[in-house]
Amino acid sequence: MINISSLTKSFGKIQALDNLNLEIEKGELLGLIGPNGAGKTTAIRIICGILKPDHGDVVVGGYSVLKDPIRVKSMIGYLPEEPNLYERFKARDLLKYFGELYGVPGERLDERVNELLELVGMEKRAEHRINTFSKGLRQRIGIARALIHDPEIIIFDEPTMGLDPATSISIRSFIEGLKGEKTIILCTHYMDEADALCDRVAILSGGKIRDMGTPDYLKEKIHGQKILQIKIKFPDVEIEKISSFNSVENVNLKGNELLVSLNSKDEISDIINLVGHNLVSVNTKEPTLEDVFIHTVKD
Amino acid sequence: MQISILILMVIFFNFFTANIESDKGVTLSPSLTGFASVDISDNSGIFSNQINKDVLKINNLSYNESINRLNQGKITAALIVPENFTKNIDQFKSSNVDLFVNLEDPKQIVATNEINSTVKSISAAISNQWINSLVPQNKTVETTVKEEKTGESLPLKLINKMMIAVLLFLPLFLFGNIIVDSIVGEKERKTGEILVAMPVSHVAIIIGKNMAVVLTMAIQVGIWLIILLIAGFDINNPILVYLVVILTAFPIVGITSVISAYSKNYKEAGIGLSFIYIVIVGFLIVPALAYVSRQSISSNISPMTLVMRIFSGETLTTTEWIIPLASIALISIITFWLTIELFKRDYIMFGPRPGIIRTTLDLIGIKRI
Repeated sequence: MINISSLTKSFGKIQALDNLNLEIEKGELLGLIGPNGAGKTTAIRIICGILKPDHGDVVVGGYSVLKDPIRVKSMIGYLPEEPNLYERFKARDLLKYFGELYGVPGERLDERVNELLELVGMEKRAEHRINTFSKGLRQRIGIARALIHDPEIIIFDEPTMGLDPATSISIRSFIEGLKGEKTIILCTHYMDEADALCDRVAILSGGKIRDMGTPDYLKEKIHGQKILQIKIKFPDVEIEKISSFNSVENVNLKGNELLVSLNSKDEISDIINLVGHNLVSVNTKEPTLEDVFIHTVKD
Repeated sequence: MQISILILMVIFFNFFTANIESDKGVTLSPSLTGFASVDISDNSGIFSNQINKDVLKINNLSYNESINRLNQGKITAALIVPENFTKNIDQFKSSNVDLFVNLEDPKQIVATNEINSTVKSISAAISNQWINSLVPQNKTVETTVKEEKTGESLPLKLINKMMIAVLLFLPLFLFGNIIVDSIVGEKERKTGEILVAMPVSHVAIIIGKNMAVVLTMAIQVGIWLIILLIAGFDINNPILVYLVVILTAFPIVGITSVISAYSKNYKEAGIGLSFIYIVIVGFLIVPALAYVSRQSISSNISPMTLVMRIFSGETLTTTEWIIPLASIALISIITFWLTIELFKRDYIMFGPRPGIIRTTLDLIGIKRI
C-alpha cells in the first residue's frame, strides 16, 4: 500500500532522514517509534505530501507523492501531534468545512459528520465552538476531521500525547477499532501503546530504520535471553562466580537486587544455589518494547 | 528598519510638498499661486484686470506672440480679446472673446474654469450696465464689476480630485491584516500543516486566499464609490474608475502576500508591510501629484493618475492606458508567482528560513536550499 524508497531529507545542516526504506501492507498498523529528532514526523509529513524529500519517493496506492500529490493526499487522513483546528468554528461546522474541501458530496456530508461525531463521542458537543474544548476533546474532533473523507490510509502523529489516561485509553481503543479496516501509521513515544496496537514496529533513529518487526519478534530478538531478577538480604554475592556460568551474559547488582541476563534457562538452579541463604526471592523478567527501544537506540 | 521607514516618510513628504507647492510659496498648504500661465491679448484691459491673479499668471502680449507661445507649450492658455471690444460695448453690440488652450496640459481645466468664471462676471456686469442705461434711475450706476462665484475655488477643486482618488484607493490598504492572518496566521496557529495536507494545490490555496481579499476590497470600493456619487462628487465614468481601482488591488494583494509568505510571524509581517505600504502609497500618489502640478508622461505609470484622468472626463491615448495597466499586470504576476513559490518551499512553512539573498537565489534556481 505504501512504499517508501531511499527517502532523504535535510533541514539546513540537519539530516532528518537518511536513505529511509519501508513498505507497509494494506490493512497493516505500523508503529513508528524513535527518540526526539529521529525523523518520525518528517517521514510522515513526506508521506502526506506536506514536505518534499531531497531524494527518494513515496508511492501510495500506486501513485507517487512527487508526481501525483493531490491523488495521494486524497487517500490519506492525517492527524498531526497538535490537532491545530480553526478555533472559531463549531465542531459540526469544522467537519463540514473540511468535508467540503475534501470533496465529500453534499448529501453524504451531513450523514458522515453525524457518523463521525457519534464515533468519537462528540455528538452532544457538536454545536460548541472548538475554543471551548479541552485538549482531549480537540483530539477527538481532530480524529473525526482526519476521517471525514473516509481515507484508505490514516496517519496518527502522537495521538495520545499529553492526554489523561482515560482519554488515551478511549483513543487507543478507537484506533484498535480501525485495525484491519484501514492502513494505519502510528507515530508514538509510548512503547506500551505501540506494543498493544501495532502489527509491526519500526524503530527510527538518526533518520534511519534501526530495526523493524512485530513487537514479539523485536523483544525476542534483543533478549533471546531472560532476565533473572534476584532479591538478596545483603549485597555481598560472588558476582565473578555468577558471571563465570556459560549461560550468563551480564550481571548487574543494584542495591539488594541482582539482575542476571541469561541466554538459556539451563543454569538457573545453579545460580540460585550459589546465592544460597542470602536469597529472598527470584523472578524472571520479560523484556518490554521499551527495553528493545533503549537497546536499539543505544546501539 | 524603523529609522529607514522614518527617512522614507520624510523623503516622500518632501517630494509631495515640492510638487504641490508653488515656486513662491513655502507654506505647506496648497496655495497654488500662479498655478497656470495664461497670455492675454487685451487692449481694453478689462479682462487682464479682472482675472484672478492668485491662480493664473498673466502675461499681456499680442495675438501672434500668445499663439506662438501656446504652440510651443510655454503657456496653458491664450485669451484673445478683440481690439474693438470697448467700442462694441459702447455701441450695444455683442463681442466674442476667444480662448485657446493647450489640451495636453492638465492645468488647462483650471485655466478654462477661471477664465470662464471671469468672462461670466464681466458679461453679467456689462448686461446690467446696458439695462441700467436704458431705464432712468435715481441712483448712480455701479461701474465696478461684481464677482460672480459660479464654481468652487481652484485649490478646493484640486483637493477634491486628490481626495476622491485617495478615498477610492484607501480601501485597498485596509485589508492587509486579513492577508497576513490568512498566510502568517496559518503558520503561527500551525493550521497550515493541515491545509497543505489536503488534496488542494499550493496555487489554489494562494489564489483562493487572495481572491477572497480582492472580493472584499471590491465590495468596499464599490460602497465608497456609491457614497461619493450620492454625496454629489463629480465622477465621470464611474464603472471604468471602479474597474481600474479593483485592478490595482491585485498588485497590492500580491505584494502583501509575498511579505506574509516570507514572514515568520505577525510582528515581522507588520514591520514589512509598514515599510512596503509607504513605498506603494508613494508610487500611487507622487505621480498623481506630478500629473496635477506639471505635465509629465511618466506620471501615467500610477493607476491613481489614470483614475484621476478618467473621472475628470479626459480622453486618454492607448499609451496612457497601457503604461499603468501594464505595470499593474506585471507586478501582479510577479508577486503572485513569488507567493506561490515561497509557499511551496518547506523552509517557509516549517523552517529554518534562510535569509533573503539565499531565498532569492533559490527562487531563481541558482542555488537550491
